[in-house]
Amino acid sequence: MLKNVLVVDDDQTNRLILRNLLEREGLAVTMAENGAQALEACACQRFALILMDVMMPVMDGYEATRRIKHSASVHFTPVIFLTAMQDDEQLARCVDAGGDDFLTKPYNHVILKSKIRAMLRISDLHDTVLHQNQQLNQHQQLLIEEQQIAERIFKNVVNAGGTDIPGIRVLLSPTSVFNGDLVLSARRSTGELHVLVGDFTGHGLSAAVGTVPVSDIFYAMTSEGFSIGDIAAAINRKIKQIMPANIFFAATLLSVDALEKKFVAWNGGMPEVLIIDVNNRIRQRVRSQHLPLGVMEEAMFDRAVDVFAVEYGERIYACSDGLIDAPIATGGRFTKEGYLECFGPHVGADQLFDWIVGSLHEIHGDGPQDDLTLVEIVVNEALASIDNVIAPVQHQRNSTAWQVNFELSAHTLRQVDPVPLLMRVLSEIQGLERHKEILYTILAELITNAVDHGILRLDSALKSTPAGFANYYTERSTRLAQLDGGSLRIELLHAPQPRGGRLTLRISDSGPGFDYKTAPRGSGANAVTSGRGMHLLRTLCESIEYSGNGNCVEAVFVWNV
Amino acid sequence: MPVQVQSLDNGATLKISPNGRFDFNSHREFRDAYQGKSPAAHYLVDLRGTEYMDSSALGMLLLLREYAGGDKAKIRIVNARTEIRNILNVANFEKMFVIE
Repeated sequence: MLKNVLVVDDDQTNRLILRNLLEREGLAVTMAENGAQALEACACQRFALILMDVMMPVMDGYEATRRIKHSASVHFTPVIFLTAMQDDEQLARCVDAGGDDFLTKPYNHVILKSKIRAMLRISDLHDTVLHQNQQLNQHQQLLIEEQQIAERIFKNVVNAGGTDIPGIRVLLSPTSVFNGDLVLSARRSTGELHVLVGDFTGHGLSAAVGTVPVSDIFYAMTSEGFSIGDIAAAINRKIKQIMPANIFFAATLLSVDALEKKFVAWNGGMPEVLIIDVNNRIRQRVRSQHLPLGVMEEAMFDRAVDVFAVEYGERIYACSDGLIDAPIATGGRFTKEGYLECFGPHVGADQLFDWIVGSLHEIHGDGPQDDLTLVEIVVNEALASIDNVIAPVQHQRNSTAWQVNFELSAHTLRQVDPVPLLMRVLSEIQGLERHKEILYTILAELITNAVDHGILRLDSALKSTPAGFANYYTERSTRLAQLDGGSLRIELLHAPQPRGGRLTLRISDSGPGFDYKTAPRGSGANAVTSGRGMHLLRTLCESIEYSGNGNCVEAVFVWNV
Repeated sequence: MPVQVQSLDNGATLKISPNGRFDFNSHREFRDAYQGKSPAAHYLVDLRGTEYMDSSALGMLLLLREYAGGDKAKIRIVNARTEIRNILNVANFEKMFVIE
């Protein structure tokens, strides 16, 4: 396409000479006889260059140039003044008016041609930069839109569990719309609280993409009753499978059972999780024992957890490394030591969280530099209630009669937790969803008793001290891992009744049994603790009967829609 | 951040030294240090000059590990200063790499 040059001169001879010269340079030429005509021409089309005389009737070159430059669009239109004036001040006025260069008449054709070429080159460069700039703006706009869409998806997925759980406080302060930090919480149907605090590699979209499958797995498996070790393994498998090798997910999974006063943690690559006693002192530090999720091959994955006894009024603190790395106004960073020093009797237990958050805002100045996350869980009676567990979907169909038997070998017991699997079978009974929590509790109590005391022959008296409590669970996983004999037999029998049904659960283990006629199972030094499970079962079931030498138990659960 | 590359033991070992800040901005330079070259039997990541390291740097080490054969990779990480050693420890990277 020919470039268009505007020649503005009131002298016809000059115009013709210039046209001749420009056309030989391969340029298209438009002519104007004065400044006013030049403005009209500029209003109709864009010129690559304007050659401007100074003294003209109607409107002179200065005024025309000022107006052209003033109304110019984003495009750059160079103006070269051609003038007979020799006066320095008047030449300077050309530039002041917006001219880009000038040449005095009579001009040398070779020099004029060179100047025209140079100006056109600058004009081209300007157009290129302008074009690139527009492209950049478009990309930027697209990026922002995509981030907004992704953010919406992200929020929907992460909030799917969406229950506000009393006793948890979360500070989540992201650097950008999208960040790698993630906090998820949900109640298991038995009431245990599951919390995940995690940090994906890097920032931005690539970091946030992985949070979608993570939260799906977390909510689904928590609702189905899986333990945090199992959930960690499933998340690890998924991230390893779908994400590139350099993307991983440092995460800590926590489980608080306020009823049993039991705290379980799996920490892979996150800062220490702290148990804070009622005097605000750090009682226990749970350091990272594992690789972040998404790094380890599935077969090598270690789902071992740390188990601790906790008391009401105690608090659990978890954070991301963004908190520890937070820069402070005086230079340097918050540091791990600075974080640990926050805990102590100098501040009331209820103010602890605010105190840490407050000190962060103080030290931040320009606001957070990195994602930072802080989570507090208060262990108390409110956590023990099972009012706000994930609500099951309800269906209205008729239940059916059936019976199903399982024989679980030592090999199977080593590999899988049978409770969630049985729950899946039972969830096939229409109308039973509403009683899922109760049913889970019954199954979990019966099976845990049979496995722990019957097959693994653990003595619940061990649990009477906090240290013994942790030992009990350590011993349990050791014995379970080494188990090479024994089995568990489970029979589920369902009979529909008008507006409900009657479910019989029979569980027998290969253990030696116990004297059920005189004592509750696992009694002795700690009859209160161990008797509580049995008491709970009796309130939930229509009947509980031991038989054989104490290694068989039958529980009957009657339910109504 | 300049990444220095050095071939040792007649090409059997490739030494990679990330200097200064080892973070997302070093991504390309670190990758170019080993990719497109004849694979080495051993890799040595020298962190003597590394002042700072973030989680994307950990990710880059995992990419190197994958490139070098995954579980069969022979990668040693040496001379990490205390803060960087802490980052490697928290991530339990000693399970994936030899850290000295």
